[in-house]
Amino acid sequence: MLAPEQIFNEEESHESSEESASFQQANLPRKTLPSPHPDRAPRSAKLAALHARLSLSKKIPLQILARTLVDPSADAHPQFNNANLAFVGASLLQYHTSEWIVTRYPRLPMGIVFSAMNGYAGGPALLRIARAWGVEAAAAPGEKVDPGYLQYSREKPTVLVHKWGYARAEVKELEKYKWRRGMSSRVIFDDPFGNTVSKEPKEPKDPKDPKEAAELEFRQTRDPDNSEIRDGDQNAHANFVRAVVGAVYLYCGSEAAKTFIKAFVLSRTLDISNLFSFRLPQRELTRLCDRENFDPPVARLLSETGRLSRTPVYVVGIYSGYDMLGEAAGSDLESAKIAASINALKSWYLYSPPNVSLPSDTFEEGAAPWEPAYIDMGEIIS
Amino acid sequence: MTIRALEKVSVGQNGVGAFILQCIKMDIHYCDQSGSSRGMNSFIKSELSKFAALNPQIEFAVSPRPRKHPLIIGHYINGKQKSICVRNMHALQILKKVELLRDSSGEKTKKVNKPVTSINESVRGVWSPYHGNGMPV
Repeated sequence: MLAPEQIFNEEESHESSEESASFQQANLPRKTLPSPHPDRAPRSAKLAALHARLSLSKKIPLQILARTLVDPSADAHPQFNNANLAFVGASLLQYHTSEWIVTRYPRLPMGIVFSAMNGYAGGPALLRIARAWGVEAAAAPGEKVDPGYLQYSREKPTVLVHKWGYARAEVKELEKYKWRRGMSSRVIFDDPFGNTVSKEPKEPKDPKDPKEAAELEFRQTRDPDNSEIRDGDQNAHANFVRAVVGAVYLYCGSEAAKTFIKAFVLSRTLDISNLFSFRLPQRELTRLCDRENFDPPVARLLSETGRLSRTPVYVVGIYSGYDMLGEAAGSDLESAKIAASINALKSWYLYSPPNVSLPSDTFEEGAAPWEPAYIDMGEIIS
Repeated sequence: MTIRALEKVSVGQNGVGAFILQCIKMDIHYCDQSGSSRGMNSFIKSELSKFAALNPQIEFAVSPRPRKHPLIIGHYINGKQKSICVRNMHALQILKKVELLRDSSGEKTKKVNKPVTSINESVRGVWSPYHGNGMPV
């Protein structure tokens, strides 16, 4: 990896202050930089305060923190924007979030796993995290902006972190004709949130730097149809958070990055039981009991009140043999039965084994050997 | 698929996991001439650098405000500001006010009636009238 000085001295467009002075002496019109010069980072009070607020290690230089605040829409040069750091950070975030969800809730259906991934590490969640860090956006990016502001351009097209790997051949039809795609194929072909990966990284319209664009591996998104890109605000904030994770990883190591993700992302509260929306709960419960060799589920009325009144209440329990799987109250027998089935299914899906260890715990030196986690056999009705 | 997933976003609670100080910036205004700023000037000379070193999370901006009373303005993550006029106070009194602004969350002060407010579900559960043995009347 390059030291920050090496990175910053490479590019001729971001000259050091002596060189720019000689430029001015020669009366040449000096090109304005698209983002603040890295030399200004150590003198920014905002940046130092942000560094301290996130309790970042002294190993992470302020120049790198300043770089995490520059979105590719403000500065297209890959050595001065946060695209590369954000890519590293995104993969770390997605890895740690997914292993945490899957080992904590081994029976979640895949759709709920995707939704939980999005709730913890997706764009909207990262936007809120960035806001909670007290990061403000600059009105417009430029050389003279304080390096402590988040810099992105609202007019210019922004950049998504491109995913390496497989893009479906039928992605056009998926978008145009809304073809169905199964949950299992999403696991293999799509991104960690279950969304399709677009086929080709679009060629940048600026023909000057095709090499840089290829090495950066990002997708230039210029079409207004893509709704994800329209929210440049969210994308820039999310990329900033990802880039900070990437910077922590590069300068302090994987353990520090894991601690950082745990402290800022996984410590947030998301009630997974609220993510479920059932269509056929009774049928699904029957299939589950069949699969697990339980007795077929039977709904029994446990208690009732006011059957002839305007507001009757029925308490229904779902039994498998002598075991009650779930119970719920409702204002009529049918809705109470459905609610009880939903409760029974949720108690199955939300099973959480105590004291699980994560696969990444074994990355440490001298860590205990890996004990295999419980893995469920899969969806009940797929 | 019989299960559809709903979209929800995780909710952060400051201090669970990591703590972020809510005060992000403090503006400190003084006047060179006025007598009401005497304490503020000595605060800036003697106390402020120590306080700023102890609280690196806060950005301090010191600027003169001629012919006006000295003022401290705290800026918070939620976008709100709190300002305190510190006229005629001496340095240690001002330090107390600065600490008050630092420790504030930026929310409006409001009366807290409940000893605990939580987004977690009750461990004991909610009482239900339809369960247990009813009281015979």
